[in-house]
Amino acid sequence: MRNLLDDYALVSRLRYRNVWLKLTIAAFGLLVGVSSTSPATPLFIALSMSFATVFFGKTPLKFYLTVLLIPMGFAIVGSLVILFFFGSGSEVFYFEVFGYRLTANAGGLEMAILVISRTLSGMSCMFFLALSTPVIELFAVLKRSGIPDSVIELSMLMYRYIFVFLEVSMSIKHAQTVRLGYTNLRRSLYSVAMLASTLFLRSYEQGEKLYLAMNSRCYDGKLSLFETKRPIRATEAVLASIYAVAALSLM
Amino acid sequence: MHIMEGFLPGPWWQIWFAVAIPVIVYGIYKLNRLVKENREILPLLAVAGAFIFVLSALKLPSVTGSCSHPTGTGLAAILFGPAITAVLGTIVLLYQALFLAHGGLTTLGANVFSMGIVGPVVAYTIYKVGMKMNLNFYLVVFLAATLGDWATYVVTSLELALAFPADPGGVMGSFKVFATIFAVTQVPLAIIEGAITALIFKYIIQVRSDMLARLNVLSDAAISKIKGAIS
Repeated sequence: MRNLLDDYALVSRLRYRNVWLKLTIAAFGLLVGVSSTSPATPLFIALSMSFATVFFGKTPLKFYLTVLLIPMGFAIVGSLVILFFFGSGSEVFYFEVFGYRLTANAGGLEMAILVISRTLSGMSCMFFLALSTPVIELFAVLKRSGIPDSVIELSMLMYRYIFVFLEVSMSIKHAQTVRLGYTNLRRSLYSVAMLASTLFLRSYEQGEKLYLAMNSRCYDGKLSLFETKRPIRATEAVLASIYAVAALSLM
Repeated sequence: MHIMEGFLPGPWWQIWFAVAIPVIVYGIYKLNRLVKENREILPLLAVAGAFIFVLSALKLPSVTGSCSHPTGTGLAAILFGPAITAVLGTIVLLYQALFLAHGGLTTLGANVFSMGIVGPVVAYTIYKVGMKMNLNFYLVVFLAATLGDWATYVVTSLELALAFPADPGGVMGSFKVFATIFAVTQVPLAIIEGAITALIFKYIIQVRSDMLARLNVLSDAAISKIKGAIS
């Protein structure tokens, strides 16, 4: 459970690079990948982004591959549906299930490959951002983009409490497991419900305490943030633009 | 269930953003009004959002052996109403994408629409109607959470079907396929989530029923009636 991408972002080598540059690179890859019509561009983006994350950011390769597997299950099921029910063209292959003929044709196959490659490229762009930029550093960016203060504040407080509650829920879960709380389905249902309701009550009480604590420190509805200045280096700019040009020329 | 990054082609991901954003803006408007009225609510909503995130990171016991995650949308909708849940849901989905690699950024609009808007609205409507009809409280919560959960799967299937219509059969054809794969297989999971949500309410009522009264979920009279039924 405690395999958050954010934990890896904190130790990434790319952490202290310019946030705007990282955001631009990720957004560029996302948009180009999702709007490309051939699988070559998304695959190129996926490869370069994964290379940047693992080689420049020093994210452990094994961890990177396991997180990449999470979306693949969904992508593969979805693409199988596309493969057999989408598009027209010549028949590529077919097989029979319970006397029901499933045919894959050229259009469907092309679309399925395209969708898988897009998912790969999108996920690797997202991982590039998520594994190199801790969310705290994104708040300053969000503040500048004109999102209402109340929402940003809500997200900041949520961010803080996610970690508090993860810790609480993990210790409750350990305690329940030791007491054989998850041995069968019925017991697990009760245990999960007990865990969740205790967590809810704890969090409610925590919220009341938080309000008191913030109020007594003159909280007036604004938490100020400061953005550290990190100039873009020449090599980074050059690398990023080479990558952008290469990706665009593949379109 | 989240649609993965890059799975929806243009113009569909833009369309779902266009559908979701007005609702989120309305939710923010309501949130700002609530916060102005009662500043105590902001920290409370923040911990509620964190709670939903942690809940969705828990693994649910599942009959089929595959592990699944509760959405927590039904719970949040009953506690805070659908407008606020839309805002909380958006932030939770963003964190899920960035922390857990569930969902994505371009597909955020579609995911917000299915999990942050339709699911909570369905759950909330069922809850309100059920309470009006004076049904058993736990039954109503169970139905609201189960059907709200299930509605998100149906909407997700619809979103996928619209983006990838089947060749013979069109949108309806591929909707049937996606719905059989995603919505039908998720029925047991939705039931489990409903049961867990009802159990959560049972524990909350036993331990701190005053909390539900303060959140305007139940009136004092209703709480004492439910408590009377348990003992």
